[in-house]
Amino acid sequence: MKNYLKKYLLISLAAPILALAGEAGTALKADVLRAEPFADAKTAGSLNKNDTLDILAKKGAWLQVKSKSASGWVRILSVKRGGASVSGSSIADIASGRAGTGKVVSTTGIRGLSAEELKAAKFNEDEMKKMESHAVSATDAQSFASAGGLTSAQMAYFKGAK
Amino acid sequence: MPKQYSALLFSLLLAAGLLAMQANALDLNKALKDAVKDKIEEVKNGGETAVEKTPEAPPIPVPATPIVTNTSAATSAEAPANSINWKNPSVDEEIALGRNITGSLLGAAPLVKDDALQLYVNKVGRWVASQSERADLPWKFGVIESADINAFAAPGGYVLITKGLYQKLSNEAQLAGVLGHEIAHVVKKHQLKVLQKQQLLNTGSSWLKEKFAKNNKLADKAIGSGAEISARSLDKDAEFEADRMGMVLATRAGYDAYGLAEVLQTIGQTNKADSSVALLFKTHPAPDERLAKLGDSAGSKLDNLKAGKTLENRLYKLN
Repeated sequence: MKNYLKKYLLISLAAPILALAGEAGTALKADVLRAEPFADAKTAGSLNKNDTLDILAKKGAWLQVKSKSASGWVRILSVKRGGASVSGSSIADIASGRAGTGKVVSTTGIRGLSAEELKAAKFNEDEMKKMESHAVSATDAQSFASAGGLTSAQMAYFKGAK
Repeated sequence: MPKQYSALLFSLLLAAGLLAMQANALDLNKALKDAVKDKIEEVKNGGETAVEKTPEAPPIPVPATPIVTNTSAATSAEAPANSINWKNPSVDEEIALGRNITGSLLGAAPLVKDDALQLYVNKVGRWVASQSERADLPWKFGVIESADINAFAAPGGYVLITKGLYQKLSNEAQLAGVLGHEIAHVVKKHQLKVLQKQQLLNTGSSWLKEKFAKNNKLADKAIGSGAEISARSLDKDAEFEADRMGMVLATRAGYDAYGLAEVLQTIGQTNKADSSVALLFKTHPAPDERLAKLGDSAGSKLDNLKAGKTLENRLYKLN
Protein backbone atom coordinates (compact mmCIF):
# COMPACT_ATOMS: atom_id res chain seq x y z
CA MET A 1 0.00 0.00 0.00
CA LYS A 2 2.83 2.31 0.92
CA ASN A 3 4.55 1.43 -2.28
CA TYR A 4 1.39 2.09 -4.18
CA LEU A 5 1.07 5.56 -2.72
CA LYS A 6 4.70 6.35 -3.38
CA LYS A 7 4.33 5.35 -6.97
CA TYR A 8 1.22 7.40 -7.35
CA LEU A 9 2.95 10.41 -5.87
CA LEU A 10 5.93 9.92 -8.16
CA ILE A 11 3.80 9.75 -11.26
CA SER A 12 1.73 12.71 -10.13
CA LEU A 13 4.85 14.78 -9.84
CA ALA A 14 6.33 13.61 -13.11
CA ALA A 15 3.37 14.02 -15.42
CA PRO A 16 0.66 16.60 -15.17
CA ILE A 17 -2.87 15.68 -16.11
CA LEU A 18 -3.80 17.38 -19.35
CA ALA A 19 -7.49 17.87 -19.76
CA LEU A 20 -8.65 17.12 -23.30
CA ALA A 21 -11.98 18.59 -24.14
CA GLY A 22 -13.96 15.56 -25.13
CA GLU A 23 -11.90 14.47 -28.12
CA ALA A 24 -13.37 11.40 -29.82
CA GLY A 25 -11.54 8.11 -29.96
CA THR A 26 -11.91 4.40 -30.68
CA ALA A 27 -10.54 1.39 -28.81
CA LEU A 28 -7.91 -0.29 -30.99
CA LYS A 29 -8.19 -3.49 -28.99
CA ALA A 30 -9.90 -5.02 -25.98
CA ASP A 31 -8.28 -3.66 -22.85
CA VAL A 32 -8.77 -3.13 -19.14
CA LEU A 33 -9.77 0.27 -17.80
CA ARG A 34 -7.93 1.33 -14.63
CA ALA A 35 -9.18 3.59 -11.89
CA GLU A 36 -5.85 5.46 -11.86
CA PRO A 37 -3.20 5.99 -14.55
CA PHE A 38 -0.93 3.09 -13.71
CA ALA A 39 -0.78 -0.63 -14.36
CA ASP A 40 -1.54 -1.97 -10.89
CA ALA A 41 -4.41 0.39 -10.16
CA LYS A 42 -7.86 -1.04 -9.50
CA THR A 43 -9.82 -2.27 -12.51
CA ALA A 44 -12.55 0.14 -13.43
CA GLY A 45 -14.11 -1.70 -16.34
CA SER A 46 -13.13 -2.93 -19.76
CA LEU A 47 -13.07 -1.89 -23.38
CA ASN A 48 -14.03 -3.90 -26.42
CA LYS A 49 -12.27 -3.39 -29.70
CA ASN A 50 -13.88 -0.55 -31.69
CA ASP A 51 -15.71 0.91 -28.68
CA THR A 52 -16.39 4.58 -29.25
CA LEU A 53 -14.72 6.74 -26.62
CA ASP A 54 -14.55 10.23 -25.28
CA ILE A 55 -11.00 11.13 -24.40
CA LEU A 56 -11.09 13.24 -21.26
CA ALA A 57 -7.50 13.66 -20.15
CA LYS A 58 -3.91 12.54 -20.70
CA LYS A 59 -1.32 11.74 -18.09
CA GLY A 60 2.08 10.23 -18.91
CA ALA A 61 1.48 6.99 -20.80
CA TRP A 62 -2.25 7.02 -20.09
CA LEU A 63 -5.48 8.44 -21.42
CA GLN A 64 -8.61 8.89 -19.34
CA VAL A 65 -11.52 7.73 -21.46
CA LYS A 66 -15.23 7.23 -21.19
CA SER A 67 -17.10 4.60 -23.17
CA LYS A 68 -20.85 3.99 -23.20
CA SER A 69 -20.58 1.62 -20.29
CA ALA A 70 -17.47 2.54 -18.31
CA SER A 71 -14.77 5.06 -17.74
CA GLY A 72 -11.18 4.89 -16.56
CA TRP A 73 -7.56 5.04 -17.67
CA VAL A 74 -6.07 3.10 -20.56
CA ARG A 75 -2.66 3.22 -22.25
CA ILE A 76 -2.26 5.73 -25.09
CA LEU A 77 -1.41 3.06 -27.64
CA SER A 78 -4.73 1.27 -27.07
CA VAL A 79 -6.69 4.19 -28.47
CA LYS A 80 -7.14 5.48 -31.97
CA ARG A 81 -7.73 9.16 -31.70
CA GLY A 82 -10.22 11.07 -33.77
CA GLY A 83 -13.06 8.56 -33.78
CA ALA A 84 -14.08 5.82 -36.16
CA SER A 85 -15.91 7.96 -38.65
CA VAL A 86 -12.98 10.18 -39.56
CA SER A 87 -11.81 7.98 -42.39
CA GLY A 88 -15.05 8.64 -44.24
CA SER A 89 -14.44 12.05 -45.75
CA SER A 90 -16.91 13.00 -48.39
CA ILE A 91 -16.38 12.66 -52.11
CA ALA A 92 -16.45 16.43 -52.31
CA ASP A 93 -13.52 16.59 -49.91
CA ILE A 94 -11.50 14.24 -52.07
CA ALA A 95 -12.35 16.13 -55.23
CA SER A 96 -11.28 19.43 -53.73
CA GLY A 97 -8.06 18.05 -52.30
CA ARG A 98 -9.41 18.46 -48.79
CA ALA A 99 -9.48 14.79 -47.97
CA GLY A 100 -8.28 13.74 -44.56
CA THR A 101 -6.98 16.76 -42.79
CA GLY A 102 -9.35 19.50 -43.71
CA LYS A 103 -6.35 21.39 -45.06
CA VAL A 104 -6.27 22.22 -48.70
CA VAL A 105 -3.42 20.35 -50.30
CA SER A 106 -2.49 21.50 -53.71
CA THR A 107 -1.02 18.76 -55.81
CA THR A 108 -0.53 20.88 -58.88
CA GLY A 109 2.94 20.60 -60.32
CA ILE A 110 4.08 17.99 -57.84
CA ARG A 111 4.47 14.50 -59.08
CA GLY A 112 3.18 11.56 -57.15
CA LEU A 113 5.18 8.52 -56.25
CA SER A 114 3.22 5.62 -57.61
CA ALA A 115 4.73 2.20 -58.10
CA GLU A 116 4.86 2.88 -61.85
CA GLU A 117 6.66 6.16 -61.42
CA LEU A 118 9.21 4.60 -59.12
CA LYS A 119 9.81 1.77 -61.53
CA ALA A 120 10.41 4.20 -64.37
CA ALA A 121 12.57 6.58 -62.34
CA LYS A 122 16.03 7.41 -63.64
CA PHE A 123 19.05 7.93 -61.43
CA ASN A 124 19.73 11.62 -60.80
CA GLU A 125 23.39 12.21 -59.98
CA ASP A 126 23.00 15.95 -59.34
CA GLU A 127 20.29 15.46 -56.75
CA MET A 128 22.27 12.63 -55.20
CA LYS A 129 25.32 14.88 -54.87
CA LYS A 130 23.15 17.54 -53.32
CA MET A 131 21.81 15.04 -50.80
CA GLU A 132 25.35 13.97 -49.96
CA SER A 133 26.37 17.57 -49.43
CA HIS A 134 23.77 17.94 -46.67
CA ALA A 135 25.06 15.05 -44.58
CA VAL A 136 26.18 15.93 -41.06
CA SER A 137 28.69 14.22 -38.80
CA ALA A 138 27.75 12.39 -35.64
CA THR A 139 29.55 15.11 -33.70
CA ASP A 140 27.49 17.87 -35.30
CA ALA A 141 24.31 15.92 -34.59
CA GLN A 142 25.39 15.60 -30.97
CA SER A 143 25.83 19.38 -30.66
CA PHE A 144 22.45 19.91 -32.27
CA ALA A 145 20.88 17.50 -29.78
CA SER A 146 22.53 19.24 -26.82
CA ALA A 147 21.32 22.62 -28.06
CA GLY A 148 17.77 21.26 -27.87
CA GLY A 149 18.29 19.82 -24.41
CA LEU A 150 18.22 16.26 -25.71
CA THR A 151 20.24 13.67 -23.83
CA SER A 152 20.50 10.05 -24.87
CA ALA A 153 19.26 7.31 -22.59
CA GLN A 154 19.47 3.55 -22.47
CA MET A 155 16.40 1.64 -23.53
CA ALA A 156 16.11 -1.93 -24.79
CA TYR A 157 14.19 -2.67 -27.98
CA PHE A 158 10.78 -4.22 -27.46
CA LYS A 159 10.23 -7.81 -28.40
CA GLY A 160 7.64 -8.46 -31.07
CA ALA A 161 4.18 -9.21 -29.74
CA LYS A 162 2.25 -12.22 -30.94
CA MET B 1 35.51 -18.15 -61.27
CA PRO B 2 34.86 -19.69 -57.84
CA LYS B 3 31.92 -17.34 -57.57
CA GLN B 4 30.36 -18.77 -60.69
CA TYR B 5 31.07 -22.22 -59.48
CA SER B 6 29.27 -21.70 -56.23
CA ALA B 7 26.44 -19.99 -58.04
CA LEU B 8 26.03 -23.09 -60.17
CA LEU B 9 26.18 -25.32 -57.14
CA PHE B 10 23.68 -23.15 -55.45
CA SER B 11 21.22 -23.27 -58.30
CA LEU B 12 21.50 -27.03 -58.49
CA LEU B 13 20.92 -27.25 -54.80
CA LEU B 14 17.93 -25.00 -55.06
CA ALA B 15 16.54 -26.98 -57.94
CA ALA B 16 17.02 -30.25 -56.11
CA GLY B 17 15.31 -28.89 -53.08
CA LEU B 18 12.43 -27.67 -55.14
CA LEU B 19 11.97 -30.90 -56.98
CA ALA B 20 11.91 -32.73 -53.70
CA MET B 21 9.25 -30.39 -52.50
CA GLN B 22 7.34 -30.71 -55.69
CA ALA B 23 7.14 -34.43 -55.01
CA ASN B 24 5.37 -33.54 -51.83
CA ALA B 25 2.93 -31.47 -53.85
CA LEU B 26 3.59 -28.32 -51.89
CA ASP B 27 2.70 -24.85 -53.03
CA LEU B 28 5.62 -24.14 -55.32
CA ASN B 29 5.47 -20.42 -55.04
CA LYS B 30 5.77 -20.57 -51.29
CA ALA B 31 8.33 -23.33 -51.49
CA LEU B 32 10.56 -21.31 -53.73
CA LYS B 33 10.27 -18.32 -51.47
CA ASP B 34 11.02 -20.41 -48.42
CA ALA B 35 13.93 -22.17 -50.04
CA VAL B 36 15.54 -18.87 -50.82
CA LYS B 37 14.69 -17.48 -47.42
CA ASP B 38 16.37 -20.44 -45.75
CA LYS B 39 19.31 -20.06 -48.04
CA ILE B 40 19.70 -16.43 -47.08
CA GLU B 41 19.42 -17.29 -43.42
CA GLU B 42 22.11 -19.93 -43.81
CA VAL B 43 24.37 -17.60 -45.68
CA LYS B 44 23.76 -14.87 -43.14
CA ASN B 45 24.53 -17.18 -40.28
CA GLY B 46 28.05 -17.72 -41.41
CA GLY B 47 27.79 -19.64 -44.63
CA GLU B 48 27.59 -23.10 -43.12
CA THR B 49 25.91 -24.50 -46.17
CA ALA B 50 26.67 -27.13 -48.72
CA VAL B 51 27.57 -24.31 -51.06
CA GLU B 52 30.55 -23.33 -49.01
CA LYS B 53 33.56 -25.56 -49.04
CA THR B 54 34.95 -24.38 -45.75
CA PRO B 55 33.09 -24.72 -42.48
CA GLU B 56 33.67 -21.10 -41.50
CA ALA B 57 32.47 -18.19 -43.61
CA PRO B 58 35.54 -17.36 -45.66
CA PRO B 59 36.58 -13.77 -46.22
CA ILE B 60 34.95 -13.28 -49.59
CA PRO B 61 36.88 -10.79 -51.65
CA VAL B 62 35.13 -7.60 -52.59
CA PRO B 63 34.99 -7.10 -56.33
CA ALA B 64 37.63 -4.70 -57.53
CA THR B 65 35.12 -2.62 -59.45
CA PRO B 66 34.98 0.85 -57.92
CA ILE B 67 31.27 0.84 -57.26
CA VAL B 68 31.42 3.04 -54.21
CA THR B 69 32.97 6.13 -55.66
CA ASN B 70 30.61 9.03 -55.93
CA THR B 71 32.51 10.78 -58.64
CA SER B 72 30.73 9.89 -61.83
CA ALA B 73 27.29 9.01 -63.00
CA ALA B 74 28.70 6.12 -64.96
CA THR B 75 29.43 4.18 -61.82
CA SER B 76 25.96 4.53 -60.48
CA ALA B 77 23.13 4.00 -62.89
CA GLU B 78 22.97 0.28 -63.54
CA ALA B 79 26.39 -0.80 -62.44
CA PRO B 80 26.21 -2.44 -59.01
CA ALA B 81 23.83 -5.34 -59.49
CA ASN B 82 26.22 -7.56 -61.39
CA SER B 83 29.39 -6.87 -59.49
CA ILE B 84 28.05 -7.30 -55.99
CA ASN B 85 28.74 -10.24 -53.80
CA TRP B 86 25.11 -11.04 -53.17
CA LYS B 87 25.68 -13.81 -50.73
CA ASN B 88 27.51 -11.62 -48.30
CA PRO B 89 27.61 -8.00 -49.42
CA SER B 90 30.16 -5.75 -47.79
CA VAL B 91 29.13 -2.49 -46.16
CA ASP B 92 30.57 -0.62 -49.15
CA GLU B 93 28.48 -2.71 -51.50
CA GLU B 94 25.42 -2.12 -49.36
CA ILE B 95 26.04 1.63 -49.52
CA ALA B 96 26.53 1.50 -53.29
CA LEU B 97 23.22 -0.30 -53.65
CA GLY B 98 21.47 2.21 -51.44
CA ARG B 99 22.98 5.09 -53.36
CA ASN B 100 21.65 3.68 -56.56
CA ILE B 101 18.15 3.20 -55.21
CA THR B 102 18.10 6.61 -53.56
CA GLY B 103 19.44 8.37 -56.65
CA SER B 104 16.62 6.81 -58.65
CA LEU B 105 14.06 7.92 -56.10
CA LEU B 106 15.50 11.40 -56.45
CA GLY B 107 15.00 11.02 -60.18
CA ALA B 108 11.29 10.52 -59.49
CA ALA B 109 11.07 13.34 -56.95
CA PRO B 110 13.94 15.79 -56.39
CA LEU B 111 14.96 17.27 -53.04
CA VAL B 112 12.96 20.20 -51.74
CA LYS B 113 15.04 23.26 -52.61
CA ASP B 114 15.63 24.44 -49.07
CA ASP B 115 19.12 23.80 -47.72
CA ALA B 116 18.17 24.77 -44.17
CA LEU B 117 15.39 22.19 -44.20
CA GLN B 118 17.67 19.47 -45.55
CA LEU B 119 20.34 20.26 -43.00
CA TYR B 120 17.80 20.24 -40.18
CA VAL B 121 16.45 16.83 -41.16
CA ASN B 122 19.99 15.48 -41.41
CA LYS B 123 20.77 16.66 -37.88
CA VAL B 124 17.67 15.08 -36.38
CA GLY B 125 18.15 11.90 -38.40
CA ARG B 126 21.82 11.55 -37.66
CA TRP B 127 21.19 12.01 -33.93
CA VAL B 128 18.54 9.29 -33.93
CA ALA B 129 20.76 7.00 -36.02
CA SER B 130 23.53 7.54 -33.47
CA GLN B 131 21.38 5.63 -30.98
CA SER B 132 21.41 2.54 -33.23
CA GLU B 133 23.83 -0.35 -33.65
CA ARG B 134 24.89 1.07 -37.00
CA ALA B 135 25.77 4.56 -35.86
CA ASP B 136 28.88 4.49 -38.04
CA LEU B 137 27.12 4.27 -41.40
CA PRO B 138 27.39 7.47 -43.47
CA TRP B 139 23.75 8.35 -42.80
CA LYS B 140 22.07 10.71 -45.23
CA PHE B 141 18.59 12.14 -45.05
CA GLY B 142 16.48 14.18 -47.40
CA VAL B 143 13.03 15.70 -47.92
CA ILE B 144 11.70 15.14 -51.42
CA GLU B 145 9.31 17.24 -53.47
CA SER B 146 6.19 15.10 -53.40
CA ALA B 147 2.70 15.58 -52.01
CA ASP B 148 2.56 11.88 -51.25
CA ILE B 149 2.67 10.85 -47.61
CA ASN B 150 5.54 8.43 -47.37
CA ALA B 151 9.12 7.82 -46.33
CA PHE B 152 11.76 5.54 -47.76
CA ALA B 153 14.90 3.81 -46.59
CA ALA B 154 17.60 2.28 -48.73
CA PRO B 155 20.52 0.04 -47.73
CA GLY B 156 23.60 1.68 -46.31
CA GLY B 157 21.91 4.56 -44.47
CA TYR B 158 19.81 6.53 -46.98
CA VAL B 159 16.48 7.91 -45.78
CA LEU B 160 13.99 10.08 -47.64
CA ILE B 161 10.77 11.60 -46.37
CA THR B 162 8.22 13.29 -48.61
CA LYS B 163 7.24 16.90 -48.22
CA GLY B 164 3.65 15.68 -47.88
CA LEU B 165 4.53 13.69 -44.78
CA TYR B 166 6.81 16.40 -43.41
CA GLN B 167 3.92 18.87 -43.58
CA LYS B 168 1.82 16.58 -41.40
CA LEU B 169 4.35 16.76 -38.57
CA SER B 170 3.77 19.03 -35.63
CA ASN B 171 6.99 18.60 -33.68
CA GLU B 172 10.57 17.32 -33.86
CA ALA B 173 9.76 14.18 -31.85
CA GLN B 174 7.39 13.11 -34.60
CA LEU B 175 10.08 13.64 -37.22
CA ALA B 176 12.48 11.62 -35.05
CA GLY B 177 9.92 8.82 -34.82
CA VAL B 178 9.39 8.65 -38.59
CA LEU B 179 13.14 8.74 -39.28
CA GLY B 180 13.61 6.14 -36.51
CA HIS B 181 11.29 3.76 -38.36
CA GLU B 182 13.32 4.16 -41.57
CA ILE B 183 16.64 3.91 -39.72
CA ALA B 184 15.42 0.62 -38.24
CA HIS B 185 14.84 -0.75 -41.77
CA VAL B 186 18.46 0.04 -42.59
CA VAL B 187 19.80 -1.34 -39.30
CA LYS B 188 17.87 -4.58 -39.86
CA LYS B 189 18.78 -4.63 -43.58
CA HIS B 190 15.15 -5.27 -44.51
CA GLN B 191 15.42 -3.93 -48.07
CA LEU B 192 18.83 -5.47 -48.58
CA LYS B 193 17.44 -8.90 -47.73
CA VAL B 194 14.67 -8.51 -50.30
CA LEU B 195 17.26 -7.61 -52.93
CA GLN B 196 19.46 -10.53 -51.94
CA LYS B 197 16.54 -12.91 -52.13
CA GLN B 198 15.68 -11.63 -55.57
CA GLN B 199 19.23 -11.86 -56.77
CA LEU B 200 19.73 -15.37 -55.47
CA LEU B 201 16.56 -16.35 -57.26
CA ASN B 202 17.87 -14.87 -60.49
CA THR B 203 21.04 -16.85 -60.06
CA GLY B 204 18.85 -19.90 -59.60
CA SER B 205 18.91 -20.78 -63.32
CA SER B 206 16.52 -19.93 -66.06
CA TRP B 207 15.07 -23.38 -66.67
CA LEU B 208 13.84 -23.35 -63.12
CA LYS B 209 12.20 -20.02 -63.68
CA GLU B 210 10.65 -21.20 -66.92
CA LYS B 211 9.37 -24.30 -65.29
CA PHE B 212 7.69 -22.49 -62.46
CA ALA B 213 7.00 -19.15 -64.10
CA LYS B 214 3.26 -19.52 -63.83
CA ASN B 215 3.34 -20.11 -60.13
CA ASN B 216 6.20 -17.95 -59.23
CA LYS B 217 5.42 -14.31 -58.69
CA LEU B 218 8.87 -13.54 -57.42
CA ALA B 219 10.59 -14.67 -60.58
CA ASP B 220 8.12 -12.75 -62.69
CA LYS B 221 8.79 -9.55 -60.88
CA ALA B 222 12.50 -9.08 -60.94
CA ILE B 223 13.52 -5.94 -59.13
CA GLY B 224 15.80 -3.61 -60.98
CA SER B 225 18.63 -1.90 -59.18
CA GLY B 226 16.73 1.37 -59.01
CA ALA B 227 13.83 2.80 -57.07
CA GLU B 228 11.49 -0.08 -57.80
CA ILE B 229 12.33 -1.75 -54.51
CA SER B 230 10.77 1.26 -52.78
CA ALA B 231 7.42 0.44 -54.32
CA ARG B 232 7.47 -3.06 -52.93
CA SER B 233 6.07 -4.24 -49.64
CA LEU B 234 8.29 -5.68 -46.99
CA ASP B 235 6.95 -8.40 -44.73
CA LYS B 236 4.39 -7.00 -42.30
CA ASP B 237 6.64 -8.18 -39.52
CA ALA B 238 9.47 -6.04 -40.86
CA GLU B 239 7.19 -3.00 -40.63
CA PHE B 240 6.09 -3.84 -37.10
CA GLU B 241 9.71 -4.37 -36.13
CA ALA B 242 10.68 -1.01 -37.64
CA ASP B 243 7.84 0.65 -35.72
CA ARG B 244 8.95 -0.66 -32.36
CA MET B 245 12.62 -0.04 -33.04
CA GLY B 246 11.87 3.43 -34.39
CA MET B 247 9.95 4.28 -31.25
CA VAL B 248 12.80 3.09 -29.05
CA LEU B 249 15.48 4.86 -31.11
CA ALA B 250 13.65 8.20 -30.85
CA THR B 251 13.14 7.65 -27.12
CA ARG B 252 16.81 6.81 -26.66
CA ALA B 253 17.59 10.08 -28.42
CA GLY B 254 15.71 11.95 -25.70
CA TYR B 255 12.48 12.58 -27.61
CA ASP B 256 8.93 11.99 -26.47
CA ALA B 257 8.27 8.30 -27.06
CA TYR B 258 4.98 8.84 -28.86
CA GLY B 259 6.17 10.78 -31.90
CA LEU B 260 5.89 7.88 -34.35
CA ALA B 261 2.56 6.78 -32.83
CA GLU B 262 1.17 10.28 -33.27
CA VAL B 263 2.16 10.28 -36.93
CA LEU B 264 0.48 6.89 -37.35
CA GLN B 265 -2.62 8.40 -35.75
CA THR B 266 -2.53 11.25 -38.26
CA ILE B 267 -2.00 8.92 -41.20
CA GLY B 268 -4.86 6.76 -39.92
CA GLN B 269 -7.14 9.74 -40.23
CA THR B 270 -6.26 10.30 -43.86
CA ASN B 271 -8.90 9.07 -46.24
CA LYS B 272 -7.89 5.75 -47.74
CA ALA B 273 -9.09 6.93 -51.13
CA ASP B 274 -6.72 9.90 -51.04
CA SER B 275 -4.05 9.34 -53.67
CA SER B 276 -1.38 10.78 -51.37
CA VAL B 277 -1.48 7.63 -49.26
CA ALA B 278 -2.04 5.12 -52.06
CA LEU B 279 1.49 3.73 -52.12
CA LEU B 280 1.91 3.91 -48.34
CA PHE B 281 -1.28 1.94 -47.71
CA LYS B 282 -0.40 -0.50 -50.45
CA THR B 283 3.00 -1.27 -48.98
CA HIS B 284 2.31 -1.04 -45.25
CA PRO B 285 -0.12 -2.61 -42.78
CA ALA B 286 -3.01 -0.32 -41.79
CA PRO B 287 -2.07 2.39 -39.27
CA ASP B 288 -4.58 1.03 -36.73
CA GLU B 289 -2.99 -2.38 -36.89
CA ARG B 290 0.47 -0.84 -36.52
CA LEU B 291 -0.62 1.17 -33.48
CA ALA B 292 -2.21 -1.85 -31.83
CA LYS B 293 0.89 -3.96 -32.48
CA LEU B 294 3.11 -1.24 -31.14
CA GLY B 295 0.97 -1.07 -28.00
CA ASP B 296 1.12 -4.84 -27.54
CA SER B 297 4.90 -4.85 -27.93
CA ALA B 298 5.47 -1.89 -25.64
CA GLY B 299 3.24 -3.32 -22.92
CA SER B 300 4.07 -1.58 -19.67
CA LYS B 301 7.52 -0.45 -20.80
CA LEU B 302 6.44 3.13 -21.46
CA ASP B 303 4.63 3.54 -18.14
CA ASN B 304 7.45 4.97 -16.10
CA LEU B 305 9.48 6.70 -18.77
CA LYS B 306 10.90 10.09 -18.03
CA ALA B 307 9.01 12.49 -20.27
CA GLY B 308 11.00 13.14 -23.45
CA LYS B 309 11.13 16.32 -25.46
CA THR B 310 8.76 17.17 -28.28
CA LEU B 311 10.52 20.38 -29.42
CA GLU B 312 7.61 21.75 -31.43
CA ASN B 313 9.27 25.14 -31.59
CA ARG B 314 12.36 23.76 -33.24
CA LEU B 315 10.51 21.92 -36.01
CA TYR B 316 11.67 23.63 -39.19
CA LYS B 317 8.76 25.38 -40.82
CA LEU B 318 8.33 24.97 -44.53
CA ASN B 319 7.34 27.97 -46.54
